[in-house]
Amino acid sequence: MADLVWLHEDALRRTHPVFVAADYERGSDTQPVFIWDVDYFGENDIGLKRQHFIYETLVEMGAEIHAGSMHDILPRLVAARGVTRVLVPATPNPNMLRRYGQIRRALSDIAFDMVDDTPFATLSKPADLGRFFRYWNKARKSAMRPHGG
Amino acid sequence: MDHIAKLSGQQPCTPSPIEGGRVAAEKALTAINPAAYAATRNFLDGAVTRLSPYIRQGILSLDEVRNHALSIEPDQKKVEKFVQELAWRDYWQRVYVAHPERIWNDVETYKTGFDASEYETDLPDDISTGQTGVACIDHFIGTMLETGYLHNHARMYVASYVVHWRRIRWQAGARWFLQNLLDGDPASNNLSWQWVASTFSNKPYIFNLENVAKYTGHEVNTRFADNRVLGYSYEQLNELLFPNLAHMAGDQHG
Ligand SMILES: Cc1cc2nc3c(=O)[nH]c(=O)nc-3n(C[C@H](O)[C@H](O)[C@H](O)COP(=O)(O)OP(=O)(O)OC[C@H]3O[C@@H](n4cnc5c(N)ncnc54)[C@H](O)[C@@H]3O)c2cc1C
Repeated sequence: MADLVWLHEDALRRTHPVFVAADYERGSDTQPVFIWDVDYFGENDIGLKRQHFIYETLVEMGAEIHAGSMHDILPRLVAARGVTRVLVPATPNPNMLRRYGQIRRALSDIAFDMVDDTPFATLSKPADLGRFFRYWNKARKSAMRPHGG
Repeated sequence: MDHIAKLSGQQPCTPSPIEGGRVAAEKALTAINPAAYAATRNFLDGAVTRLSPYIRQGILSLDEVRNHALSIEPDQKKVEKFVQELAWRDYWQRVYVAHPERIWNDVETYKTGFDASEYETDLPDDISTGQTGVACIDHFIGTMLETGYLHNHARMYVASYVVHWRRIRWQAGARWFLQNLLDGDPASNNLSWQWVASTFSNKPYIFNLENVAKYTGHEVNTRFADNRVLGYSYEQLNELLFPNLAHMAGDQHG
């Protein structure tokens, strides 16, 4: 099984659980991939200063940067490298989720997994998100403990 | 920068002085002082962390930042304010996951006495370029355009000026902030704009010149002659800005 870690701008670090989920033992590529998709940047209002900041981060973490559309680049990389599973850090961003869903449907014989980040606070019941302090009153205890535990 | 601009088909600009990468992020994390933060965070020169570009891009997780804060301050009570501010981000992210439509739509109606249709939809050039003629607001806008970062209190001032003094819909200001901030985040940014606007809070956030002078240092021009539209009491501002409403209180930090 060859895994490929596909990063986006919400999760640019090696300590993200997506790297724990990737099965590097079996010869998966340890270099994560970032697709420099200018249409996506435009849709998400990511300006040039921030692009520069993201680029510096990617270079430092040794990520592969591929310029082009996510819809073109990802299937090409998957085919060229015999990837069997694509791992992506979880994101709430609908623009990323839409692309993820479309590419996943197009590559139906490949496994896709979204991997959650480590939680900040764990709530026993679904949070009341009506106002911050309703959430905080329930989250405080967990948030004030190391690892939210 | 030239390489990035070419990749993105745009004219190069000056990069932010805030460096990307995990090494710079860890350096900034090591420098935090949660106890001093609690006492001074509302002041422009207070002990705020400037971690937001790293947290927003996931270079540091909220979990890592909280764990570090707890580990360096033996008195956990002194860390609570800082952890609570981190929790604001967690809260906005949870709203984003549960209700993605709230990012660009009014969560509630404006509590300003005006209907959404009475607000302009486009951001005028004098605002986007920082040439409004209100000295402190222009100073804050200039800082954001130059560095890609702005202190929380200054973000509140600028957002309030845009929505309540200029009567422009929060969406126009939110998009402009997203495009210019290194930490531009759909949830933290847009929902904070809605908080200021009163479409996701119980009342509009306003401030006055006295409040700006209290929280900023000498580098910000807070002379009345250069900031006339802000130089009123809260009572006067409420009457001027929200003539359809009865009296309200002003800056929560004041
Ligand atoms: C109009 C407006 C727009 C904003 N836009 C953004 C944005 O695009 N991205 C963003 O990350 N924050 C945004 N904020 C929240 C806050 O202003 C910034 O997170 C903070 O100023 C970043 O500076 P700092 O890292 O020095 O914060 P510190 O005060 O040192 O706080 C530490 C961390 O806690 C989190 N945090 C603190 N306060 C808040 C808050 N009120 N809401 C959410 N997270 C918070 C941030 O991750 C921050 O890095 C906005 C606030 C307003 C009023």
